[in-house]
Amino acid sequence: MQDILRQSNLDLLREITQLSSVSATIPATAELSAYQHWVTEACSSLRQRALQNLRDLELSRDDILDDILSETQVLTAFFRLCNQRLAAPLLRYRPSDRLCLRIVAWLHDHHTETKGIPAGLSDGEFGVWPELRIPIVYFMPSSRQRGLLYMPLFFHEFGHLLYNSHKKELDELVSDLQKELADWLEPITQRNDLYAHQDAGTRNIIVETWYEWAQELFCDAVGLTIGGPCFANAFSMYLRMGGRDRFHQPRERLAFSEHPVAWLRIRLIAERVRQMGLAEADKLETEWNRIAATMGITEEYFGFYDDRFLPSIRQTIDDMLTEASPYHFSAMDMSPSAWNPESSSLVHLLNRAWSIFLNDPASYDSWEEQAISTFLASTGAANDERTQTY
Amino acid sequence: MSTEWLAIQSFQRSQDLLAAINTLSIHTKLKMNEHTDEERAESVTEARETLTSFLKGFEQLVERAEQAGDGPLLGVDPRTSQLARSFAHARRERRRFRSCLFREPISSTVDLLISTDETDQQTLVECLSELRTLVEEHVQTDTARIFRDF
Repeated sequence: MQDILRQSNLDLLREITQLSSVSATIPATAELSAYQHWVTEACSSLRQRALQNLRDLELSRDDILDDILSETQVLTAFFRLCNQRLAAPLLRYRPSDRLCLRIVAWLHDHHTETKGIPAGLSDGEFGVWPELRIPIVYFMPSSRQRGLLYMPLFFHEFGHLLYNSHKKELDELVSDLQKELADWLEPITQRNDLYAHQDAGTRNIIVETWYEWAQELFCDAVGLTIGGPCFANAFSMYLRMGGRDRFHQPRERLAFSEHPVAWLRIRLIAERVRQMGLAEADKLETEWNRIAATMGITEEYFGFYDDRFLPSIRQTIDDMLTEASPYHFSAMDMSPSAWNPESSSLVHLLNRAWSIFLNDPASYDSWEEQAISTFLASTGAANDERTQTY
Repeated sequence: MSTEWLAIQSFQRSQDLLAAINTLSIHTKLKMNEHTDEERAESVTEARETLTSFLKGFEQLVERAEQAGDGPLLGVDPRTSQLARSFAHARRERRRFRSCLFREPISSTVDLLISTDETDQQTLVECLSELRTLVEEHVQTDTARIFRDF
């Protein structure tokens, strides 16, 4: 066993050195300097722990072999995470990543709890790894990374990071919501037979499923609060051609599902848009209703959602937003005036992008190219300062 | 949109726990055999803190899991709920899980973490070993979610 562990730790050391060397050859960029620093430190820590394993093996004690085996497996798993996933934002870096990375940096810097947290970008379905003990990795399909239109979907992903930063308080609010839903679901009359037992099981599944649904709806609300119309437009456009699943899922797929059905999310977003006094609410609902009608789909959530739940859901999400306090778009962020890098926010830029795309699609591409170039030029100086002060 | 966020959080939490268990287990065994193990002193302190903090929070969660039976644990993410349920289930597996961690209140194991009594040290090693088994089994689900199998 000692030989097996010695070989594996030596192999691990070689691999760690390889990854360190490759990472060190990536030219330092302002956007990724903090991220690169984290990877370097992680490799250094892994190396120290593998060396400790080798020193422990030198003691030739059989009673600690099970511990060294487990520790070697832990190191292997964490190295695998670094090598296969966490190093990717560095190793795949392209100059075009600057757009996404600066938008993410803007998000992180505009919230006290996330200011200065390193973040990287990787290819894939929209997503985030919001684990505070490792760098935050945002995922976006590669073609979407080069334009402005779908950047607001990062606001939803950022919501997961905000949730994690306020986890204790938000978990309590979700718990209260689950209690209320459980009360709604409780039958008026109690039976004591096989069917009653099955019904109780179904109610438990619905209540448990709502833990993840509540977080996703909170993230939708964060996206909308930060971005306003640009988020609603990006969300709707990205999901609405996703096929039948976006409108309807069978009961068994709803159980323990990670997201509510997209049509329900649109309804709740539209309801919030309406509360905000924005014009997009009716348009959103009409478009989704029309697609559903064309496909012959009617709304059915099999008890996982009922309009009776809405006041409780709305109140919970409002309370969660109060607790997490995300950036709130301003009137200026929705202004039809031209985007001015000196005086306008990023959110204004993204709302302008959607306004031009929807109203004057022929001119959109040339406008976007110019807008990205201006945005990168205007944020370049700030990023240089970030690197120097790091 | 991807939902790996639960898996990565659970994965990292489990990795931190396993690292703490291993550090403290090696240290305790070496000390029991009169090996000073001074070079690990700082990481042993951190490991104790990690495990104490985890076990204190976990005790309430396991109690709730035992009371809830098949019912949901409200306000708790599904992976943490699963770990609490696995622990509650392990308490009934007397043949596999025999240490005092599974036979007595979890707070007894918290006390062992700071005890210097020699008998307690041996008991602690047994508890750590069985906690490691439970966490290793739990983290497999997250590992499978994050990495493709080869």
